Amino acid sequence: MGVMRSRSERWAQVVLIVVMLLICASVIYPFLYMLAISLNEGADAAKGGVYLWPRSFTLANYEIVLGNEVIRHAYLVTIARTILGTLSSLLITLLAAYGLSYKRLPFRAPIMTYILITMLFSGGLIPLYIQLNHLGLLNTFWVFIIPGMFSVWNMFVMLKFVNGIPEALIESAELDGSGPFRVLFSIVVPLSKPMLAALGLFTAVGHWNDWFAGAFYVTDQQLIPVQTFLQQLLSASDISAVIGSNTNQEALARDSAMQNITLMSIKMAVVMVSTLPILCVYPFLQKYFVKGVLIGSVKG
Amino acid sequence: MLARLVKYRWQYMMILPGVVLLFLFSYVPMFGIQIAFRDFRIGTSMWESPWVGWDNFSFLKEPQFWVVVQNTLWISAFKFIFGFPAPILLALMINEIRSSIFKRFVQSVSYLPHFFSWIVVAYILQAFLTMDGGMVNDMIQKSGGEPIFFLGSTEWFRPMVIGSSLWKETGWNTILYLAAITTIDPQLYEAAKVEGAGKWAQIRYITLPGILPTISIVLILSIPSLITVGMDQIYPLMNTANMAVADVLDTYVLRNGLQQGYFSIATAVGLLSSVISLILVLVTNQISRKMNGEGLW
Repeated sequence: MGVMRSRSERWAQVVLIVVMLLICASVIYPFLYMLAISLNEGADAAKGGVYLWPRSFTLANYEIVLGNEVIRHAYLVTIARTILGTLSSLLITLLAAYGLSYKRLPFRAPIMTYILITMLFSGGLIPLYIQLNHLGLLNTFWVFIIPGMFSVWNMFVMLKFVNGIPEALIESAELDGSGPFRVLFSIVVPLSKPMLAALGLFTAVGHWNDWFAGAFYVTDQQLIPVQTFLQQLLSASDISAVIGSNTNQEALARDSAMQNITLMSIKMAVVMVSTLPILCVYPFLQKYFVKGVLIGSVKG
Repeated sequence: MLARLVKYRWQYMMILPGVVLLFLFSYVPMFGIQIAFRDFRIGTSMWESPWVGWDNFSFLKEPQFWVVVQNTLWISAFKFIFGFPAPILLALMINEIRSSIFKRFVQSVSYLPHFFSWIVVAYILQAFLTMDGGMVNDMIQKSGGEPIFFLGSTEWFRPMVIGSSLWKETGWNTILYLAAITTIDPQLYEAAKVEGAGKWAQIRYITLPGILPTISIVLILSIPSLITVGMDQIYPLMNTANMAVADVLDTYVLRNGLQQGYFSIATAVGLLSSVISLILVLVTNQISRKMNGEGLW
């Protein structure tokens, strides 16, 4: 009996491992596939059959992508908005959370209600767009930063975390004559590092991956982030529709004729260039993300 | 009272930026909803636009709008049917992996797609499904079949959306369940083994009941999102060929409003879906109160 069970369980374990490996492959393989196509001559890849390894290897796709002004500029926009957007959002949200952690603050309850209402009901896309227009934010870099500087959800997570810090610590610092800002930065922030790291990472990923604001809130091609560039390229019917100025276009047309570059091969190179940073930092940051989910999920 | 306000002046200073930002980007747009009842043109003042009553809600009489509602409900229903049980199943499977190194590897890999944008997901679909050398059509042709224009097909649109959202989020959504499983008392499993319970019995009578509270919370929290099917995902996959099934409420607002300039009508549609999601949240809160003894807030 015991032998039989352990035998059937061993089989179950084998099946389980195979299924898990298939799931992992379904995640990893698309990137290998796209990498292979991006490293292959476009015209050749279009014939099909390039599944894992480039058949006629070339770096031409990457040369064009990395040499392109528009893409390089889009990258700068993405990096700038990710850094600025994340830091400003963490700061403003943390300030509010810390201010509201004082339970005896007069009018605390109405302020909390004021904040909570925005989680339940929103004006919707169009009224927001009109307001962005009214404030003169449309078609500026700041439209990526300012509207998202205060995150209600993150504030509630932070508030719960700050409430968990022993009051004696804060009170003793206050008795020493430290003001709230001093207490916040010398005591609360050092104790909240894991929480701040987790929320900061989520905010950063949100900025990195956002294509919507770039697609609908700005029209100046100088302001679009990488994801919006990708979104435009996704539905483009030829390369020149998206990439570069006139002179660039000519050079590109000449290059593509010479090197058998297709829209698809360029697309694959661009998508690899945009996802590689995430693939590279992910293994090191994964534990913070998981922690972040668990901090946010426990209701306070 | 004044003395207390002065005492807390620094705290108010800290809260002020957040309160102002919410006013500018949440409350002002809420007041902006009035353009749903006005004839508003961009470039004019919203306050000077003439009132038109319920005229902007005439979309309710258009069959096209109800097709959009149906599309929304179909996608959200399928997403729920497949997307809700999938992470539970995967979590149970991951939990049964004996080797802890392999287990951690599977977890890391399965969380990864969560961090890619929907645009990247659209690229992956395009890479595999394109008729110019994409792997799927390549294989169909090699086995003698006719290539299929997946990306512009009304039949394949829903499977593409459901499949890609399973691919992207199933792994990530196991985190809560796996955390819940670790809180189950190991002695329960020991006792069950002594009683002669096999793996299936242990999963059925210990693990599943152990994560039931988490399952019910996730279930409740998924109710409000039933009406928003994720424009981020739909919009990049939508084109004129699959529009008949791809157009959902969010994209309808986007097209009518930002792309065609019918701001008042788009706001009216947006208002309708905001009200429905508010109702869903309130209902959810009531359910949560009944089941867990406490509300969402």
